[in-house]
Amino acid sequence: MSAPAAAPLRDLSVEETARRVAAGETTAAEVLEAALSRTAEVEPEIGAYLEIWADEARERAARIDARIAAGESVGPLAGVPIALKDNLSLEGHAVTCASKILEGYVAPYTATAVERLLAAGAVPVGRTNMDEFAMGSSCENSSVQLTRNPWDLSRVPGGSSGGPAAAVAAGSVPLSFGSDTGGSIRQPAALSGIVGFKPTYGRVSRYGLVAFASSTDQIGPLARNVRDAALGYAVIAGPDARDSTCADRPVEDPLAGIEDGIRGLKVGSFKEVDASGLAPANARCWHESLERLAGAGAEIVEVSVSSLEAAIAVYYVIATSEASANLARFDGIRYGRRASGANSLGATYVQSRSEGFGAEVKRRIMLGTFALSSGYYDAYYGRARAVLETMRRELDAAFTKCDLLVSPTSPTGAFRIGERAADPLAMYLSDIYTTPASLVGLPALALPAGFDDEGLPLSLQITGRPFAEPEVFRAGRAFEAAGDWRVAPTFKNRPNPGGGVSSP
Amino acid sequence: MALTIEEVRKIASLARLRFAPEEDGRFAAQLGQIVDYIDQLQAFAGSDEPDRSAGLPEGADTIVPGLPRERFLANAPEERDGFLVVAEVKASEAEGS
Repeated sequence: MSAPAAAPLRDLSVEETARRVAAGETTAAEVLEAALSRTAEVEPEIGAYLEIWADEARERAARIDARIAAGESVGPLAGVPIALKDNLSLEGHAVTCASKILEGYVAPYTATAVERLLAAGAVPVGRTNMDEFAMGSSCENSSVQLTRNPWDLSRVPGGSSGGPAAAVAAGSVPLSFGSDTGGSIRQPAALSGIVGFKPTYGRVSRYGLVAFASSTDQIGPLARNVRDAALGYAVIAGPDARDSTCADRPVEDPLAGIEDGIRGLKVGSFKEVDASGLAPANARCWHESLERLAGAGAEIVEVSVSSLEAAIAVYYVIATSEASANLARFDGIRYGRRASGANSLGATYVQSRSEGFGAEVKRRIMLGTFALSSGYYDAYYGRARAVLETMRRELDAAFTKCDLLVSPTSPTGAFRIGERAADPLAMYLSDIYTTPASLVGLPALALPAGFDDEGLPLSLQITGRPFAEPEVFRAGRAFEAAGDWRVAPTFKNRPNPGGGVSSP
Repeated sequence: MALTIEEVRKIASLARLRFAPEEDGRFAAQLGQIVDYIDQLQAFAGSDEPDRSAGLPEGADTIVPGLPRERFLANAPEERDGFLVVAEVKASEAEGS
């Protein structure tokens, strides 16, 4: 063993953790205990986890240590504790999408992405909270519990991957995995002051991810820094015969040229951002971000995508239409919750669904059913597809003028718990900058860019051409390296001041 | 676009959902507000989608084992002798009303 390192194990990067475990400088068991101890410390205040698999994680860590002791090679995530969103299947474990309708459901198989994480040596410590069926931007739509933002406990962590984001931000684990359908990795990463990445559509297999909107769902990593997010992405990416939308092309190593900088790259900034009414602190951060990119050697060019304004409307028609079809399978017959007392098959469907789904899920199923219904299909679903095609062409045209596109990730920092809960439309508008990359299937990285006047994290989004993940990570790393970052969250506004959590 | 309570009930029936009478009005108001917002789509230029089906992967049509019956049934709300137990299908109620 080498001399004890100055930094606590839980503060190490994913890369350094795996390196030390593989080299025998520490053990997977020690790393796990540090993560479990931190988790026990922060969970009472944060509420990121729906279930913690401590015993199983200890067994898994012990097996990794035994393999290392036997001289076997372990993967690039050797001994790295990770958290999973509650819509990713791990065989034999509950997966509920934070919904009552999936109470008691146990995954009968493992998601491809999770299989790859296990093969790489990662140690899942638990499943984490989310907006029910990934529908929401605050994690308040969970049917189970609230999750609080580690920067300010009176605020939301973002959503729908609020649990995975809060777990990383609070220092419980260095890496977590969520799903992103319209911003559900990037927006909570932004609000929680961490890095989140949505891969190109088709880059990561969706096998074993509970479907929300199949044409945009992607699994991706949340981490404390860009390199760790790139490593997490690289492990889960790649072809998979079990998902026919998964691209059959090799994965370029995103870490290979990640330190090469962005000198000479053209970065497009949306003209529309300045007219969008950002608060002064957010606008300042946005302009400083552009200056930082320019300072790192990028050439900033202005681009205009007029259909950007329609992104929310397009997204909420297409995603809810797909959701209304995907969620038809939850009917109380084959799995999940079945209403008691229904005296016919039809009544079983209606009662099980009406009791099992929460308000936001019902709202979206209703909206999607409406958009697909006879008499409205052309005006809504058909129209949304047509405007999406315009958006795709405008974005294609923008990429002839630049290599990457940047925007804020979220129009605001973290909002207060309850602030938007009664106004679904206000909540939907949180997704203005994240939905275009989802709709068009582009890779997009959210990363810390500064703070607003209340000390809440703000975020920059970097979007690339399809399958240009290495370029996106390289730009993200250059931006990160040019900044002066404070990454420890503040745990402000404790309901119980003097309570036990220390900032990491 | 205001949605009437009758329209909300019709959509709910298509979606196999039912709302309490006091919820109908709230859903009608919220959905109406969202549909108003979505109506802005009419003001944006649309484009014809090209046929993107060419080049989609065609997997070999090979038979692979499915989920073993017992593992599937482990999640069933009610099972008997290896089958799912469901309520009787009555024509009048199978529509979900």
